[in-house]
Amino acid sequence: MPSATLLGQSVLSGIFIGSLYGLLGLGLSLSWGMLRQVNLAHFALAFLGGYVTYQLAAVAQVDPFVTLAITVPAFFALGMALHWFLGRFSVTLLNTLLVTFGLTSIIEAGIQWFWTADFHRMESAYAAARWKLGPLFFSLPDLITLGFALALSLGMWGVLRFTDMGKAIRATTEDAPIAAAFGVNEKLLGYLVSGVAAAVAAVAGLCLALSHTLAPVQIYAWMGVVFAAVMMGGLGSPIGPLVAGIVIGVSEAVTMAVTAPTWAPLVSFSLLIGLLLFRPARF
Amino acid sequence: MKTTLAACAAVLCALPFAGLPAFYETFLYLLLHAIVLATSWNVLSGYSGYFSFGHGAFFGVGVYTTAALAGQRGWHFLWTLPLAALAATLLGVALGAVVFRVRALRGELFALLTLAITFVLSTIALNTVDGGPGIQVMVDIPKIAPTPSGALYLLMLTAAALTLWTAYAMYHSRFGTGLFAIRDDEDVAEVMGVPTYRFKLAAFAISCALAGLAGGIHAVFVSYVTVAETFSIALAVNVVLMAALGGTRHWLGPAVGAVVITVLLYAFTSGEAAVAGRALSGLILIIVIVAMPEGILGQLLKRFRKAPPKRAPLAPSRAAPRSRQEASGELLLEVRGVAKAFKGVQALAGVDLEVRRGEILGLVGPNGSGKSTLINVVSGHYAAEGGSIRFEGKELVGLPAHRIARAGIARTYQIPRPFPQLTVLQNVALPPMFGQVVMHRARAEEEAWRWLEFTHLGDKAHRYPGELNLHQRKFLELARALASRPKLLFLDEVLSGLTPAEMDAALRLIRAIRDQGATIVFVEHVMRAVMELTDRVVVLTFGKAIAHGVPAEVMRRPDVVQAYLGTAHA
Amino acid sequence: MLEARAIQAAYGAAPALLDVSLHIAPGELVAVVGPNGAGKSTLINAMAGLHRLAAGALAVDGQDISRLAPHRFCDRGIAIVPEGRRLFTGLSVRENLELGSYRRAARTERASAMEQVCVLFPVLRERLDAPAGALSGGQQQMVAIARGLMARPRFLLLDEPSLGLSPVIVQEMFRAIRDVNAGGVAVLLVEQNVATALELAKRAYVLDEGRIVAEGPPDALLAQDRIRRAYLGGVAA
Repeated sequence: MPSATLLGQSVLSGIFIGSLYGLLGLGLSLSWGMLRQVNLAHFALAFLGGYVTYQLAAVAQVDPFVTLAITVPAFFALGMALHWFLGRFSVTLLNTLLVTFGLTSIIEAGIQWFWTADFHRMESAYAAARWKLGPLFFSLPDLITLGFALALSLGMWGVLRFTDMGKAIRATTEDAPIAAAFGVNEKLLGYLVSGVAAAVAAVAGLCLALSHTLAPVQIYAWMGVVFAAVMMGGLGSPIGPLVAGIVIGVSEAVTMAVTAPTWAPLVSFSLLIGLLLFRPARF
Repeated sequence: MKTTLAACAAVLCALPFAGLPAFYETFLYLLLHAIVLATSWNVLSGYSGYFSFGHGAFFGVGVYTTAALAGQRGWHFLWTLPLAALAATLLGVALGAVVFRVRALRGELFALLTLAITFVLSTIALNTVDGGPGIQVMVDIPKIAPTPSGALYLLMLTAAALTLWTAYAMYHSRFGTGLFAIRDDEDVAEVMGVPTYRFKLAAFAISCALAGLAGGIHAVFVSYVTVAETFSIALAVNVVLMAALGGTRHWLGPAVGAVVITVLLYAFTSGEAAVAGRALSGLILIIVIVAMPEGILGQLLKRFRKAPPKRAPLAPSRAAPRSRQEASGELLLEVRGVAKAFKGVQALAGVDLEVRRGEILGLVGPNGSGKSTLINVVSGHYAAEGGSIRFEGKELVGLPAHRIARAGIARTYQIPRPFPQLTVLQNVALPPMFGQVVMHRARAEEEAWRWLEFTHLGDKAHRYPGELNLHQRKFLELARALASRPKLLFLDEVLSGLTPAEMDAALRLIRAIRDQGATIVFVEHVMRAVMELTDRVVVLTFGKAIAHGVPAEVMRRPDVVQAYLGTAHA
Repeated sequence: MLEARAIQAAYGAAPALLDVSLHIAPGELVAVVGPNGAGKSTLINAMAGLHRLAAGALAVDGQDISRLAPHRFCDRGIAIVPEGRRLFTGLSVRENLELGSYRRAARTERASAMEQVCVLFPVLRERLDAPAGALSGGQQQMVAIARGLMARPRFLLLDEPSLGLSPVIVQEMFRAIRDVNAGGVAVLLVEQNVATALELAKRAYVLDEGRIVAEGPPDALLAQDRIRRAYLGGVAA
């Protein structure tokens, strides 16, 4: 049985990794729930953002946060372009899964072409900053990830709940033509949501670059667990993926501490399967 | 045709003896391997619409069964193959038995569930059987060909032949028709008599068995088995890609897609080219989904489809209706105390109701009184919560909807729900194939023609429901409900949306249906129709039946007038 | 004045409206009746900007609005109460009403409009925070009409509001519609309940197979026997 400190550290690191799951899941959940588009390429985009951040930091010593000024607008545009494409060809929900898988292959191949299959780790001043809270350690990148995740999730929730535009988005999700009859510009909103979802991927990419090693094959490793977080959190819910992500992260970390790391994936997927079987009405 | 097939088979079997370099035997092996996987995936996912992202899991079970038994324990390789298939089947059936009972688990949810299963299985395999480093499978390959690669080729050829034959047989069978109906609209298929749960489970079992078999053979082919390679997401998605590329609605589609993809992947084998190959296959996937939703084969078949044969007009003597049954007064349907609630709303609060054989019973009541819910409960679309429903003395509560259809109950939907990808004729021919008297396809289509002509839809037989207007779709609903010659027919607001003149035509049709021997329960708001047509009337309010009897009397009762008619019709 | 000038529209591949011209003057109550498949719903949807025109024009006060994007129609004073209600069932009644006044000009009057519709349909006041999907059919129809009114329209288009409702509720509904019209809102009513529609309307059009085949005051239409038999069935003269 591991010590209290080890368990505590596990819980803490579980929270942090969970917040990254939530951040990655936020964009996915929004486009799936609101636009009925399952964007598998979200992961590849996040990694692309991470790689670009790494590249600019390594080659031109650009501060990773400054890179956001480039990646966020660029990804916003990419998100809108993808939305346009899927709309132009009236791609059904299940097919968006397949189309974005194709897109993932293309992006992943592009990443491997440019940066090879080797692992890359971004060096930054931020990564070096660490603190101690009692017997527990945490680092600045951890806090940054958690901070972004909280800010973006809560911000999104507030917009959807309280603003006219947020209500318009929810109405469009249900019945776009009638919403249009009352003045809601569904096209514009669709592009907005799609752009925002992709922009969030850029932020997730930054967090990935700060805390993790980058390799093309890693793109697929995150897919399963983030999907689990998105589905457990409820499609289209802005806060759901974060909460579910943290639940998954903590249970994984604790499992790893108690048994062996190789058993960890079992936890999140069993949770997901259990939820699907016993509470499918949520979806 | 048969001789060409035999000739091809002979050539394919003779290949290993032709002294080809091992590279070609390996390539052909991989081609056949892809065909088996894609086709076996399709017999569940393409036919029934339950897109699985977990085919890799069942393939992996087959791989690891052979690896463990032959590689680790030294069993003779060929004996492990049926066990590999069996292990995969058992797992599939166990999973399906649970998952297919959960109504909400369809579409993208089923896809993600099966994906999750793959991860779970790979984790379990990694931590138990495999242990981490993988399993070496060095076994004696039976000497059925000059080289080991040739022998493996022949084994996979056998598997491929078996798989393709299975897909073909299913496609042309009643089983296959039922699966395609499930793909279009599962709930309606069930109500029309298709045993959906059983069919889905059977398709799943067949799909898994074939994948397991392929896995067992493959374990020997790679000779060193690892979890990462076996349970990869790439396999799961490639299989979907191949089937989608070739066309999921046809038995040969996935094989076409498998050939194209394998050839492509093989054109790029080394280093940088492999990367380009992945990008290219991604691009192809996008183009296919967007431009060819029916797949290559589907698109070709559509282009070169033969015009359907013209049908000779029905000879009058064949159209003899059943003799008109006098309203015998015998109790046909007895509903006692039936209840049903939805999210706190008590839609049915203990309904008592009788239907007598040969009558037209009107079911009326204010909006929200539970009329449609009652139909849904009796026909099995929803499960009753309490009470009893006896039809010809037999209890219906607790029976799955397809058994209720078999007993002789049919219904129309207020908003028509035809199977969108089946023609009008195929729509109407489905209930006879699964109804009280199970007919084979030719006889069922004859029956369908009769009812199409009865409802004046004969000239639309080969069109798709999307091409019909509302009025015609309502009549299609009617034809489809009638095609199984039900003893009891529920009509759910068939007249809504029709003008008075069209209504007259519909009323004449309904009387003619009763004259053919059916008992009819007729839910309607249009008072004129209720007064003219029905023998008796039952009034529902707030989920309870408050009055029944002859329409003229019932509609004059003060409590009925107050609850339902208001002042306009006093 | 809201006008349709020789409009043509298709439903999929089939033509649905052929050379249809009609007009509604401010404050009028006009009915459109006709057999199923005549194109009544297509007509209403086209006039609300929900259905693309193949030819012809729509005009408000003489200004051509046919080229406008769908979400701009409400700015010209047109609001729709669609067939089947089509409320935003996942949102509350209040949010549905708020969305009715989404367009900028209506937003400023939101509070007073909300008060007005609650007076028109008192039962709504108690159900404001309930999810719209939880209401009964009749109540949902009231929300749908209220939502249309929240947009402060000059022209309210109603597509078969009595469909699926019991006669009692239908009477209430039509009373409310009469009140709305009395308040100055022009109403275009497409109805299958022909008798009541003709009772309410000052003028009616008869649509058949995509064309206007008759037009005029209800009495005149009823007197023309052929029309009465074919489209109005057994309605008492």
